[in-house]
Amino acid sequence: MSARKIITFENLIFNLKKYWQKKGCLIFEPYNSEVGAGTFNPATFLRILGKEPWNVAYVETCRRPRDGRYAENPNRVQQYYQFQVIMKPTPDNIQRIYLESLESLGFKLKEHEVRFVEDDWESPTLGAWGIGWEVWLDGLEITQFTYFQQAGSIDLEVIPVEITYGLERICMNIQSVSSIFDLKWNEEITWGDIYRENEQQFSQYNFEESDPERLLLLFKEFEIEAQNLFKKGLILPGYDYAIKCSHIFNLIEARGVISVSERAKMIARVRALTSEVARLYLKK
Amino acid sequence: MIDFLLEIGFEDFPPSYLNKAASDLTERVEVLFKKERIFYRTMRKIYTSRRIGVLILGVARKQKAQNVEVQGPPKKFTYDENGKPTAMLEGFLNAHNLKLSDIKIVRTQKGEYVSAIKAIPAKDTDDILYYEIPKIIASLEFPKTMVWNQEKIRFPRPIRWIVGLLDRKPLRFKYAGLEAERYSMPNFHFSFEPIRMEKPREYINFLRHGGVVVDPNERRKIIKNRINERAKLLKGEPAYDENILEEINCAIEYPDVASGEFEPEFLKLPEEILKTTLKALGNLVWVKGTNKFICIFNGRRKAEDNVAQGYARVLKARLQDAFFYYQNDLKQGIAKMQEATKEMVWLEDLGTIYDKSIRLIKALKNFEGLTDLNMDVLKRAAELCKADLFSNMVREKEFTSLQGIMGYYYARSAGEDEKVAIAIKEHYLPAFSGDKLPRSKEGAVLSIVDKIDNFLGAFIAGQRPTGSYDPFGVRRNAYAIFNIFDAHNFDIELLPIVVNYLKLYKNDLDKNLIIEFLTERIERYLEDLGYRYDEVDAVLYNTNFNVYDARLRCDGLRGFRDKQEFLQLVIGQKRVHNILKNIKDPGQVDTTLFEKPAEKNLYQRGKEVEEKMAPLFPEKKYLEIMKLLLSLRKDIDKFFDEVLVMCEDKNLQKNRLALVNYVHQLFLKFADLSRIVIEGEKDKNNEKQKT
Repeated sequence: MSARKIITFENLIFNLKKYWQKKGCLIFEPYNSEVGAGTFNPATFLRILGKEPWNVAYVETCRRPRDGRYAENPNRVQQYYQFQVIMKPTPDNIQRIYLESLESLGFKLKEHEVRFVEDDWESPTLGAWGIGWEVWLDGLEITQFTYFQQAGSIDLEVIPVEITYGLERICMNIQSVSSIFDLKWNEEITWGDIYRENEQQFSQYNFEESDPERLLLLFKEFEIEAQNLFKKGLILPGYDYAIKCSHIFNLIEARGVISVSERAKMIARVRALTSEVARLYLKK
Repeated sequence: MIDFLLEIGFEDFPPSYLNKAASDLTERVEVLFKKERIFYRTMRKIYTSRRIGVLILGVARKQKAQNVEVQGPPKKFTYDENGKPTAMLEGFLNAHNLKLSDIKIVRTQKGEYVSAIKAIPAKDTDDILYYEIPKIIASLEFPKTMVWNQEKIRFPRPIRWIVGLLDRKPLRFKYAGLEAERYSMPNFHFSFEPIRMEKPREYINFLRHGGVVVDPNERRKIIKNRINERAKLLKGEPAYDENILEEINCAIEYPDVASGEFEPEFLKLPEEILKTTLKALGNLVWVKGTNKFICIFNGRRKAEDNVAQGYARVLKARLQDAFFYYQNDLKQGIAKMQEATKEMVWLEDLGTIYDKSIRLIKALKNFEGLTDLNMDVLKRAAELCKADLFSNMVREKEFTSLQGIMGYYYARSAGEDEKVAIAIKEHYLPAFSGDKLPRSKEGAVLSIVDKIDNFLGAFIAGQRPTGSYDPFGVRRNAYAIFNIFDAHNFDIELLPIVVNYLKLYKNDLDKNLIIEFLTERIERYLEDLGYRYDEVDAVLYNTNFNVYDARLRCDGLRGFRDKQEFLQLVIGQKRVHNILKNIKDPGQVDTTLFEKPAEKNLYQRGKEVEEKMAPLFPEKKYLEIMKLLLSLRKDIDKFFDEVLVMCEDKNLQKNRLALVNYVHQLFLKFADLSRIVIEGEKDKNNEKQKT
């Protein structure tokens, strides 16, 4: 191992923010409702629609109820952080800009292998898909790199690039630790100090204590609320409820109580909402 | 002589498209050079994960010159009464840049015309390439493409540079917002600085310095050597084949090698888990039987330690996951997994996975008559075969491909019979087209029944395949059914099994839909074996989708196909077919109504053949049956020569039709020969042959 200086989790975030700020990105903040990925943040989902240039970077808290492991698995948790970058239009030298961001974190390309592994990203609930890769650093997946082609079931007029860093993964490599819970957040406090209890409680909730019937009810109520708001032209509050539907769906799925075809139907219902948002947003 | 380099540089390409893209490009450039008569000495195909191209040495600067004959106006319109060239002739001369002295008169079928030999000026190679190369790039086709800038050009990944260098001159054609230049790009692990080339011959070496081995064959060789050398050092044998080698080759630009280890305790995992885990990590090659792996990576030697440690760490985490799932599954036991099948809906309105296994068990009855088939083993296997879908292992995305295989291990660990476990493992085979088939009889039967359940289920759920739409892989399933029946020589009709199976679904799906679908599939299967479509058509007449029997009948036909006698027989049967086509009920033959010897003779000979054939059918001696039928040819011909079937006397006519029908039915027991297509005649002609 090279004698890389240990970068704390918080400093990793500072470094990335500084790097992308220099590249012309607006430094934004996370969304304030449960989302499965930074893509749901209106700073991505809505801003990638239409022709206006948009460059932004932000941290997003991601909830993946199904991935919880009661804090017993060193690599799997039901909540973690992404660092999300959107550049629209995509700069021609974006691959280099991204690779140099890794160098700025201390990964000299001469001393590592960075591999772009074919992986076309798709979010059925957002009606969005793109062409791209998982980026592997010495075998570890650290980034999803995507050229969006469609969002809200609409062909994009200007192609944005979405770069999503898995912050914990990268930091584990930097700090040479094999458990996410051992990551140093700062010099004194670890990731586990902050989130171990959280992982335990949420895993118990996600897998055991959530009430699937009530969740289904909530799903329906949120869906109606979104539809009503759309009718009144209130796209943004409506989008809030579409996002809530998406999260509720993830919770229901974690319980493993829906069949394949029911699952497909619920996804289609969320997609109908997000597609409506996209359509109305562009009409404005 | 000069050289030419074309290189299209892009961000990392889907490995599975790469070789074809480079081959298509090279081929089309070659066609262009031939069509445009541009001489060259050698042409080399280039590809790495970030570029495709072609390097052509010894290129002519110009096309080969060419003379063509051009035809002008008819002779009578060439000069006016004063002997001056007409406007028509002048126009011709001007159009082709000719002088009066160039022309001569030629005789053609339409009369005498003006003609001239015209020298077409040789165009410069760079002009041709400037216009034609962009068209070639645009002509490349891919399974999936994208757009990345406002040019809206489609390609699998963004094109980021183009080298088009003819001798020392960049071609400067424009494509996708780029201009063909003299700059290539190195491997990004080495540098971001463009590589400038004065001339194409510098390409291979300059790029090598930039961390790119552009020649795929050379790179493949290096990869192979590096793996083998490292394996030797590790005192083991690497587990790879040519496919894995090419997959690695398509994902990199410059091969270097690292190696690492995993905890020996993971060797306790079933080998399939180990291999699947390693394979998911891309360029890892297992050193057989050891806890070591070799990693081919795309970077600099300096990276070796980081790469080795990085991959080892990821591998460890993945193996830990797998180990955890596997241990949990063993603890849980297959019985509990089977319980879970009662709760999971398979397809909406088609019950749970458990219901599915109950259907499978019931359908096994159809196979009871087969020799050497252990029904107890089979029933048990059918009961358990879907249980592993509820194991931790198979529920993981990375390991879904291990369905069946995990069932094998979990059944064994629960103390089930080895044969039961094998049938479970084999019942998903073939998992893809070209995959191996179940070897055990029980595995074969279970696989067939499962696939019948799958395709009927899809039909009932409204997921019939149309065009390229076949989300349930219904076509592949049906094809596999025939493949397994045939490979195991199961002498069983499929149709009754399928019809019975519908009852298990309590569904009244239109039988004709299924027959139509199965017909298409069995035809495809037999044609893939090399039988001609008309042969297949002829034997399928009454086999009820007994594919094993159909194949033997095809063989029977084959043996006689080229004989002159056979052709006459076929012509005869086509006649008979046409005579009988509009007769609803030909009735029974009344021997007392025979008038001519040929009638009596044909009937007697028919009876003889019928008697001799009867014992041959159960033994499937179709060559001999065919021989017997062939022996009737003379008698049939004689009958038609001497007897008028459609005679005035209605009673006689009816009896003669009955006789014709009797003979026809004899043939149909074997095959409908009227469906055989005779050379020079399309099968439609069936209709036209009127008697």
